[in-house]
Parts: sequence; C-alpha cells; structure tokens
Amino acid sequence: MVLVLALGDLHNPHRAPDLPAKFKSMLVPGKIQHIICTGNLCNKEVHDYLKSLCPDLHITRGEYDEDARYPETKTLTIGQFKLGLCHGHQVVPWGDLDSLAMLQRQLDVDILVTGHTHQFKAYKHEGGVVINPGSATGAYSSITYDVNPSFVLMDIDGLRVVVYVYELIDGEVKVDKIDFKKTATTHA
Amino acid sequence: MAEERRRFQNLRSVRWRVDLGILPASPEASVEELRRAAADSRRRYVSLRRRLLVDPHLPKEEDRSSSLVVDNPLSQNPDSSWGRFFRGAELEKTVDQDLSRLYPEDGSYFQTPACQAMLRRILLMWCLQHPECGYRQGMHELLAPLVYVLQVDIDKLSEVRKLHEDCFNDDFDGVPFPDTDMVFSYKPRKDSKWGTGGDADNGSVRASKVNTLDELDLDTKDIILLSDAYGAEGELGIVLSERFMEHDAYSMFDGLMDGGNGVVRMAEFFSASKVGSSSSLPPVIEASSSLFHLLSIVEPSLHNHFIELDVEPQYFALRWLRVLFGREFCLNDLLVVWDEVFAYSNDMLLSNDEEYSFRILCSYRGAFIAAMAVSMLLHLRSSLLATEINTSCLQRLLNFPNNVDVQKLIEKARSLQSIAIDANTSSPSFLLKKDNYEYDRVHSNLATSTPPRTPLHPLSESYWEEQWRNLHKDGTGPKEIEKGNSFSRSLKKSLSQRLGLSRTESDPSPVKAVRLKSDTKNPVRRCLLNTLSDEVIRSREVAGKIQQDDFPIVSTHKEPLLSSEGPSQLKAADEDLTIPAEPADVSETQTAEACVVEACSSGENSPVFYAARAGDEHENNHDSHSERSSITSDSCAGDIDRDEIPQDEPSNCNCEDKTVSEAAPSDKNSEPVGPSERTAVSNERKPFISKLQWLLKLGRPSGEGNPDKGTCETSGDKHDVVAPIPSPSDVSSDNSRSSINLAPGDKKVVGTLKNIGQNMLENIQVIESAFQQDRGQPSPMENFSNNILGGKGQVTAMAALTELRKISNLLREM
Repeated sequence: MVLVLALGDLHNPHRAPDLPAKFKSMLVPGKIQHIICTGNLCNKEVHDYLKSLCPDLHITRGEYDEDARYPETKTLTIGQFKLGLCHGHQVVPWGDLDSLAMLQRQLDVDILVTGHTHQFKAYKHEGGVVINPGSATGAYSSITYDVNPSFVLMDIDGLRVVVYVYELIDGEVKVDKIDFKKTATTHA
Repeated sequence: MAEERRRFQNLRSVRWRVDLGILPASPEASVEELRRAAADSRRRYVSLRRRLLVDPHLPKEEDRSSSLVVDNPLSQNPDSSWGRFFRGAELEKTVDQDLSRLYPEDGSYFQTPACQAMLRRILLMWCLQHPECGYRQGMHELLAPLVYVLQVDIDKLSEVRKLHEDCFNDDFDGVPFPDTDMVFSYKPRKDSKWGTGGDADNGSVRASKVNTLDELDLDTKDIILLSDAYGAEGELGIVLSERFMEHDAYSMFDGLMDGGNGVVRMAEFFSASKVGSSSSLPPVIEASSSLFHLLSIVEPSLHNHFIELDVEPQYFALRWLRVLFGREFCLNDLLVVWDEVFAYSNDMLLSNDEEYSFRILCSYRGAFIAAMAVSMLLHLRSSLLATEINTSCLQRLLNFPNNVDVQKLIEKARSLQSIAIDANTSSPSFLLKKDNYEYDRVHSNLATSTPPRTPLHPLSESYWEEQWRNLHKDGTGPKEIEKGNSFSRSLKKSLSQRLGLSRTESDPSPVKAVRLKSDTKNPVRRCLLNTLSDEVIRSREVAGKIQQDDFPIVSTHKEPLLSSEGPSQLKAADEDLTIPAEPADVSETQTAEACVVEACSSGENSPVFYAARAGDEHENNHDSHSERSSITSDSCAGDIDRDEIPQDEPSNCNCEDKTVSEAAPSDKNSEPVGPSERTAVSNERKPFISKLQWLLKLGRPSGEGNPDKGTCETSGDKHDVVAPIPSPSDVSSDNSRSSINLAPGDKKVVGTLKNIGQNMLENIQVIESAFQQDRGQPSPMENFSNNILGGKGQVTAMAALTELRKISNLLREM
C-alpha cells in the first residue's frame, strides 16, 4: 500500500507563483511514501517544499530547472513495479506515444512518467503504463496556454496500481481513478 | 462460593467467559445454551470487524464516480474510507509499540507473528469501537492472558481429541452407517494401521476405547460436547475453537473492560476523566485511595508509614490496578489470581441511594481487587516499614518479589474482602470526606477568583482550617489549642513584663487588657491572640536585636520561650517565631508531623522575601493609604496565590511571622535580599498578607458561626476589607458595612481585638522611635550578616513596622 505522488512542470516562479491552494491543502506530510517529479520546478523553494512532504524525492531535469544536478532520466523500483522518470522535452515529438514507448523500452520500466506537455495523459501500452501528470500549477506550456493544474497519485499494491488523477477544473478538484494490473512477468 | 466445585474447573477460558458475562452463568445452563451464547458473541465480533476494519481497496457497492472526490487517498474529508484507514494506521502504530514489548522472552507465544497480528486487531477494534478511551498502554497486558488461556484450552482440546479419537468422529447421532453400503463405506477414520510408526505407540495408548460419551469423566465430556461440530450452532458454536479464538478473546476483553454492567470497569482505570467515580477524582486515583483506606483499617502502622514518607497510593497502585497485577506476578501465578478475581461477581451490591465511599468497593470483585492489593502490601510489610525514604519504599513496591506464594496472598485477600465491603458503606471515611472537602473548597476558591489554579494537594491543609474543622466537628477545641493556650498565657506574662521593662512610651495597660480578655475567648481566638502577641514579641525581639543595648531583655527572654514545653504546634510556632533571633539552623524545614510546624518552618524560608518586598514598599511610598490599598488588593488575588505557594501549608501564623520577620530579614538569608528579589517576590507577599487578612477575618466574626474559614469566604470578606482601607475617612461607614458581615454576637471579642491593635500600634511606635534614635548607628550584630547593616536593615525593619501598624489599624477598626 504505497502511495506515490507524481507531479511536475510547476515553473515556479517564472510562469506560476505556487500550487493551487486546494492542492496544497490535500498534500499533507505523512501519507505519501514517494514523490517523483518530472522536472521544471524550477527553483529550490519547490524542491524544499516537496522534500517536506516526503523525504524520498526523485527529480529529473527539465529545461528550465535552476539546479543542474538533476539527472536526465531516473528509474526506481517500488513494490513490484519499475518506474521510469524523465522530463520529456528530450523525446521528440513531444508527447508522442510511440516515442515515449521507445523510451519506456529503453529504460525497461513498467510505468513511465514524463511531463513537458502540461497535459494529463495516461496510456496503457504494451503491458506498461505511460503517465503524464500535467502541470501541478497550471503554468502555460510551450504548446498551449490552456492548462488545468493537475497531478497524479499512484497507489501501488502488489501487482496492482491504482492511478488517481487530481485536476483543478473551474476551481473544483476533480478526481479520477484508473486501475492497472501488471501481468506477472516470468523473469524476476 | 469459591469452595464448591465450579463448572469447567479445568477449562479456564470457558470459566472466565462465564465470569465475564459472555456465556450464561447459571450452573444449569446446558451445553446448548453455552454454545448459542458463544456463537452470538462471535457473530457480534464479525459484524464489528466488517464495519471497523477498513480496506480502502475493496470495491464499494455504490456509484464510484461521485464518491471519488471523497474517497481518494488524499481526501481530507473525514467520511472518506481512506481517512479512516489512515486513522486506523496511526492507532496501529501505537499499539505495535506496546505489542513488541509484550512478554518478550524467547520463544514466547505472544511474540509469534500470528498472535501479534491477532492482538493488534483486537486492540485496534476495541479502540475504534471506544474512541473516547483510545488506546492506553497496559491494555495489551490485560488482553494477553485472556488470549493465553484460550490457547491453553485449545491445546487441551487437541490432547483430548488425540486421546479419545472415536468420540470426535463424524457419525451422525453416534450411529455408524453399516459398512455394507458402498457409498458410505469410506469414513475418514483413523486406523492404527495407517500412519507412521509413531502412531503405533499412540495406538497402544488408545487401547482403552470408549464407545459412549457417558463413560468419560465429566470434564472430558464437557470438552467434547463443547467442541462437537454438530451441536447447537454448528461450528460457530464450538466453544473451544481455534478458529474463533480472536472472536472469543475480543469478547472477553470487552467484558473485562466494560465490566458487564457491573461495577469494576477496567476501561475507567485508563481514563483520566472524572466520570464514573463517586468523588471528583479520576477512578484510578479513587481506587488507589480506597486501598489505602482499607490498609488504614487493617494495618494502620503501615498506612502511617506511607503517609510519613509521602508515598501516594497511586504511585504503585496505578500499575497494579490498570493491569490487574499483571506486572507483579508471573503468568501462571497471574492466572491463579485472575481466577479468583473473576470468580467474584461484579454486580453492584448497593442500592441506588446508599452512600458509599469508593466505587471500586461496591462489588465483590472490586473489593477483592482492593483486598488483594492490601494483602500484597502486607506481604511486604516488614521490608516497607524498614525503608526510610520514599524512593526506596516505592522501589520495593514496584519490584514485587517473584517467588511469592500466591495462594497465601489470595487467602489473605479473601479475609480482607469483607472488611473492604463494610468499610465502603460504613460512615464514609473522614479521609474521603476530607478529600472531597478539599476539592470542594478549592473549587469554590476557584469560583471566586479569576485565574484558574491547580487544586491543592489533599494533605496540604492549613493548620487553621484543620482547627476550624475539628472545632466544628467536635464542638470543642482540639487539645492542642488548649495546651497552647496555657503556654501562650505564660507567654503573655513574659510579654507584659518585657513591655513594661523596655517600653519607654507605650501604655502598658492594653497588654493587661489583652491578658484579661484572653480568658474569655474561645480557643481559636486565643490562638489568634497568641500568635498576634507572639508577633509583637517578635517585633520586639527584632528591635532588640537591632539595638541590643536598649533591649537586653529580649535575648534573655528567648530562652524561656525556647525552653518552655508546650504542644507541638504552638510550641513549634513559637520556636519558629523566636528563630529569627537565632540565625542558624532553623531555616531548614523541620519534618514535624503537624502541618503548622511545617507551615511555620517553611514559612521561615521566605521572610527575607517578605522583608525585601516590604523594604521595597517602604522605599516607594510612605503613604499608608496607598500601601494599605496595595496590600489589600494584593490580598484579593493573594487568596489563590496562597494555594500555589510551594511551601505547603501557609498558615496564618505564618503571615504574622512574616510580618514580624520582616524586621529581621538578615537573620537567615540576608544574601538573597536584593532588588531582583523584591520584584520577583511580590507575588509571594500576597499570600502572607492574605493570610493576615484572613486571620483578621477569623477573629472578627464571633462565635461558632464563624464564616467558612475557607478562603472563598475570606476572599469575600477581604473585599470588604478593601473598601475600608483605602480611605480611612470612610472607615466608619465601612466598618458598619463590615460589621454587618459580623455574625451578631460577641462584641467583646471585637473590642479585645481592637485593643490588640492599639497595643500593637503603640509597640510599633516604640520601636520606630527607637529606630529613629539609632539610625545611622553601626550596630554590632553578630547575628546579622554584614550585607544588611544599618540603613538597609533599618529600612526593612521600618517597613515591617509599618506592616504591623496596618495590622493594628485593621484590628482597631473592627
């Protein structure tokens, strides 16, 4: 019963001042075990804030991040799942499923989390899952100004992952839920 | 009742379940009824579990999309199942902390993961079911033996099963189907031919086959019938069932904690609230005091020893009661003790309107628990009496020896049990009433003053209040006061002598008048006069100290004071009074029994502060009006400050002592006197002043109809005093007002007090004149430290004298 928070593209302070208040009220420390962040935080403040929510924080480098030490990609294993993390501006065309699938195969992960498009997406693809948590602050992207703040919470339980999507639409938080079940692979 | 053969003698879990109210208790209850009761309790548990143990992953029946906003993991909505899940997780963490330390010996049954999981679930569910109690440390130790006995019985069952294999077969109604029928020929019956070689040995053991149940002894028959899979309620009704161990353990735990509509509810012992007890104390504190009360009846010497050492019962009884002696005995002994405890019924013995002192003693079971505790104390009696300090005493109590003969303790407890029950209903103990009284008084105190304070320690009762209560209780003054009177009379004589000898200006007559009048007063007032006169003596002594040439008498007079025999209280009081003349050791608090001695001696520690404050005031303004008003305004708040003073029993004689000792600040701890002290100590000053006022109030109204000596009333009186003080011109009008408060009666007393005040004033004038004469004179005082010489000492002394002046004014105004 591991709760993993996936978010990114906050663009703080350049494009957005802060997370929406309703999101902030939900994100309390103590419930979440891991945070994976696709990138473009951009400043240290956000990093510290996320660190306060959960000590286990994984970030990949976005093109506007001020801290240059974040890696380009990252993989981690949580429970039975392998998760891959990348900002996504490296994968061209941006947001293209096939290209992202290539990356997923490259990293050999079950769940790939990327951002950059600032649009929430979740695909089931070839036995794996590709998730784009969107922009947590609703910052405008290189592609569009029409962005709803959103982030993703994954509940990993054994071979099953439940993806909760939190979107702020018209000032109200809307929650959606997607179930993924991993087929037990033959190799460990 | 414990002597007759009890049903299920060997099956503890069944017996306990009967005792705790889960299974029917009547001796004629058939096996069927037992089984049905067991099944019902298990069904209850299952439904509870379904409701409380929430797995948020399980799909819920209602429409999903609308509930997702509520039911997501991050939802702050209290209704969300995730919220409940997280709350349960918090509780589990707390429970786990305790469970990991439960009977941690290696290989212990309780540390196995299965058992731990079961214990955790049970505790979690009970705490979720009773959110007002929450989980408290110790609940796991109550649960553990319950689970243990269930396990033991199940082991017994499996043994019996092995021994009497045939009785457990699946034949319907005991009639085996004929072997000729091929369909039913296969019966899962163990044959000695099957199995390993080991079974062959077993087979020989089982040589004595029994064909019918009736050939078995009663116990085994019970076991078998209770475990029959085809009896009433089927498998759910199997009373000794491993499968339903958790359910049964929960029911037993619940029965124990809730007391089954009885008196002793263990859950109460874990709560700090005051519900469920007859007095205003938390139940466990009340129960601890109940066993102290029983001890005082049974073994007063040990009881007094505890009081001497200031050992409160709840220091050790908290653990004893909360875990029902689980920590004091090893597991097997504990089971024997609990057998006995549960054997007694928990029903309320008293009807609704009967008065009782202690709630715990209202049932046989509770009385036995208290008696058990007392018998344990008696077991340790000799070693406890040998301890000299309370830490070693507590050490002895908290490390109860392991190798005790439990049966003996139980026998003793049985004999004490009836005493306990009688003690409960007989005239409620003075101890308890006193506690109640203290709490009521304190609470009424709190009602009259604004800032809330913590209630008094029950034993910290001021001397005066005790005296008053004794007076009103017995109608006569306690003997000490009588003795004190004789002593004080001699004191007065010497006082008059001294005054006559050394006074230059004052009129000797008021002293004599005082003496004359003294005989007419009641003991309390005599004491008042004594202390007042003592105060005067002291002031004179102090003056004498400063100008030794002028008042040589004082030093010589000390000896008679000190050497004279007298009652402990007043003597000590007077000793303390004379102490300022002697610097050394009296400042150390004495450990005398009388409150007042403690009070006086403890009061001695702060004369400096008082002096310091007085000096401060003196320096500030000589305006008597404002000073007086400041005093009295202090006194209003000072009422409750009094309660807070670390020095326990600030008695009224203290305040007199303080006022006098002001004049002799440097006697003891002259060093601390300093500006910083002065401001810091202003608070402490108030209680003394308030004491003073209170004392005055004491004297002012007459007769036995003395208003409540509790400060609640005196605070009211003080308010009256406040009014007259600020404007002396209004004294008369306010006097009339205050006189309205006087109980109609003894004007003579009032007049006498007025005379005292006059006398005091005159004495003060004398001293002051003497001061003025000697101001600037370096005084060879061997007893004063060099810090406070001359000016400062005189200043403080002057301040003290102004205080005395005020007192005298007050007295005169009456």
